[in-house]
Amino acid sequence: MDSLIKEFRAAYAGQLGNDLAKTLTPDVPNNAAQLMFVWESGNAQSIKDDLKFLFVRDKSARLNMSSDEAVGWQEIYYSYWKALGEVLAAEGLRKSRVKTSWTSVYEAWKELTSQIIRGYTNHEFENWTIPCLYVAGKYMRLYAMRADAERGSNGDDMVTNFQDDFDPETEKHKSLEDCARQLNRIFNLCLSDRAPLSESRKWGIYYAINLLFKTYFKLNSAALSKNVLRVLSAGRGDMPDFESFPKSQQVTFKYYEGVLAFLEENYEEAEKHLTLAWLLCHKGATRNMELILTYLIPCHLLTTHTLPSAKLLAPFPRLQALFLKLATAIKKGDLRGFHQALQEGEDEFVKRRIYLTLERGRDIALRNLLRKVFIAGGFIEGAEGGAQVRRTRIPVAEFAAAIRMSGGQDIDTDEVECLLANMIYKNLMKGYIAHERGFVVLSKNGAFPGTGV
Amino acid sequence: MSWASATPPGTQPGYVSYAHAATAYTPVPVRQGFGQPYTLQPQYAAYANTTNPPPAPAAPPAEPQQQQQKIDWPDKVRSYVQRSFESKNMLPDVSREEMEAKLKETISHAKDAGIMYTTDWDGMPLPQMLVRTHRAALLEAQQRATTQMLAASWPSPASAAASTEPARATNHHNSKKRKSSDFSESDPSTGNPWRSNKKLLSLSDRISQPPGLDSKSLKQAEKAENRKQRFNTAEYKTYRSPSPPPPTGPILGTCTNLEKNYLRLTAPPKPSLVRPEHILHQTLDLLKKKWRKENNYNYICDQFKSLRQDLTVQRIKNEFTVSVYEIHARIALEKGDLGEYNQCQTQLRALYASGIKGNAVEFKAYRILYFIHTANRTALNDAIADLTTADKEERAIKHALEVRSALALGNYHRFFQLYLDVPNMGAYLMDMFVKRERLAALANMCKAYKPDFKLRFITEELAFESDAEAAQFIIDHNGQHLLVEREDSIVFMAGNAKQLFETARADAYRRVDLKGQI
Repeated sequence: MDSLIKEFRAAYAGQLGNDLAKTLTPDVPNNAAQLMFVWESGNAQSIKDDLKFLFVRDKSARLNMSSDEAVGWQEIYYSYWKALGEVLAAEGLRKSRVKTSWTSVYEAWKELTSQIIRGYTNHEFENWTIPCLYVAGKYMRLYAMRADAERGSNGDDMVTNFQDDFDPETEKHKSLEDCARQLNRIFNLCLSDRAPLSESRKWGIYYAINLLFKTYFKLNSAALSKNVLRVLSAGRGDMPDFESFPKSQQVTFKYYEGVLAFLEENYEEAEKHLTLAWLLCHKGATRNMELILTYLIPCHLLTTHTLPSAKLLAPFPRLQALFLKLATAIKKGDLRGFHQALQEGEDEFVKRRIYLTLERGRDIALRNLLRKVFIAGGFIEGAEGGAQVRRTRIPVAEFAAAIRMSGGQDIDTDEVECLLANMIYKNLMKGYIAHERGFVVLSKNGAFPGTGV
Repeated sequence: MSWASATPPGTQPGYVSYAHAATAYTPVPVRQGFGQPYTLQPQYAAYANTTNPPPAPAAPPAEPQQQQQKIDWPDKVRSYVQRSFESKNMLPDVSREEMEAKLKETISHAKDAGIMYTTDWDGMPLPQMLVRTHRAALLEAQQRATTQMLAASWPSPASAAASTEPARATNHHNSKKRKSSDFSESDPSTGNPWRSNKKLLSLSDRISQPPGLDSKSLKQAEKAENRKQRFNTAEYKTYRSPSPPPPTGPILGTCTNLEKNYLRLTAPPKPSLVRPEHILHQTLDLLKKKWRKENNYNYICDQFKSLRQDLTVQRIKNEFTVSVYEIHARIALEKGDLGEYNQCQTQLRALYASGIKGNAVEFKAYRILYFIHTANRTALNDAIADLTTADKEERAIKHALEVRSALALGNYHRFFQLYLDVPNMGAYLMDMFVKRERLAALANMCKAYKPDFKLRFITEELAFESDAEAAQFIIDHNGQHLLVEREDSIVFMAGNAKQLFETARADAYRRVDLKGQI
């Protein structure tokens, strides 16, 4: 314990927030021995007094902090020590007399988080210490997920419920839902600070928001993130500039903002946010870039009808597997190839929630196919002996033949007309269908907007 | 202390602990008796309840009582005492001290209560007998406490029935509270509003949260949190230990009525009002018969809701549960009650997912169609994610997926072909959005076709039953001017329709009924 407090004092004296947070980080995989040492250096009977001595009575080492603040820290390290004991027990690093579970780890850590929050509301903690909040939130989320997973695998879902029906989601995510509420407290703690910006907790807000987003997505209730965005945009006026937050936080935030817009089918908005995330993303963060592209590529397909180049996909084998086949089929106007690629990737697409968006790529594939028919129709004499012009009156039968060939299955003329009508309706093709006479009249100028013909 | 005068003397367990300190008798032990768990032994409880004695004649002050050493004991009492000490009346398992203490207690009780002259001393059991019965009662109470704990500390049927009245009063109170606000900030049991959500709530508060309002109340709670944060008071309350933990574990019903009206629970359910599973089986048979015969949806829906509630509170999750939800879902579908249908469907999804058999394929298909209707893309995506490869080969699911894909691509031709051939009861669901899709198709055609085409084409493409029906549909949407009679047929002037159907389509999509969405 002494050594831990020594680190604390050093960090505190230098106002080094990250170093301070490190003293509260239960990073077991990388730091097991040291954490064990900290745990063993205290014992349940005397820990409170020891800490009291270290923080309050030990005048020699008293830092430049009020006794009120010292009490706050003392409580935090007490909670931390207890939580650490639970963590080490759950990880199997120490024997515990009582049965250990990740649920009790979560509860202990939640207690610590509450103590830290209390530090800001009741014990005058300064804003350079907010990395402590980060650590608290980060591990709270991890422990909540492990607690849920553990309960799930034990089949222990005895949540009392007196609603008329069962609520399956609640039983599955009991701890994580609670965690979301705690994270929201952190969010509000940052949001509600009225101190001048230089010493405001507002600097912690994006970290808190990003944690909340992650949690909401995991809980399958991404829609709740909208509330956070609403609160945020309402208070944007007295917020520090977005650009002055750490880049890592900016990227994560923009990514989630983009995905949220994507899920709402607001593709223009999504494209804006995702592009920003893409540009800010560290070039070594392959995984993150991959995630951003997973949504940015379907966005582009719908907004600008463009496909990813081989060069863009080159560094991302996973994305190649996802998109390459599909992109090739679209480019060639290969309806059957498109169908196959979509089916092969279906599980993955559905999992990433891009299936319904990608499916619309079929329109582009069809457009490319019809365009080929138009070009194959060649030129005819212009009116009154003028220059040659493209043939713009095309029998529906010609389109039908192309669709049959490309799709590999029979299709009746009415359905072909229906598909053509859709092309026109969606502005992918300009012209009209003359049903009674059985042909399509395409526009002389730009029958297929944006494709050069 | 009112019971002191009503219950037979000598049965006051509260005296026991003071038996040896007999000389220092004060009324205090009587008060302590209240705190003992066995004061409400069943055999006395009924007595105490029915007689409901008048307010206690204020117990005489203790000191004057003690000073009054000389008392004129009635003869009957004297003989009672005598009998108590007769050796033939001694019991082997009751010591003389115990007996003496009990005797003293009995008599002084009679004296205190002023019933010394009215008590039937000849018929009064001897103190040693009283000690015995008291022991037995104690033992029973202990056993009962243990079994109650096992049975999730629900009141036993008998006492539950006896306490119905007060419970009802509580219900009333609760429901009133709910109306004013779901999360009243002043409610001491809720404390921090974030804690007040779901599991950490006291029971009654939890049940009052209507299903499907999650995000709403969450928002409310968020607001409350904001308010609190503003004043930085939340932390004080966070540490308040939660109100007594809700009883856990399922209950076992004892009600044997087949029918029961639905009432939303506002307090923990009482076993006496809950039907056990074998009764519920009979209920279901009865309801099926009634539905066939009377076809009264309001009645059926109400009965099914109470049936579902009984299943839930008893945590019955088996094939019977599945069939209850399936039947209710089908009936709700038939009657177009989407709210109820969706509740059933949500449950069914979870039940199937936990491996319970039923008509999973049929309902997975409905689920897809339902989310097409509500235009809920996220849920639709989830519904597709739920499907296994084998599922996708099933006719009903294949059909639903094709419907979805046809709509996604605007392929109304295919869509209306699928509409004409729906497996199971899917047509009820498709009926709900077919009008919307017809408008969409017409908007589409009006932009793509020029100058006109026969009305017949619309009838066929949009699956109307006759030209007349198609014409009526167009007229209903103010398109009469688009219908022109030619020599051999009626034609539809698609090129002249402009924005007419586009506007109608947008309206129809905006009005998707989201009732009952979770």
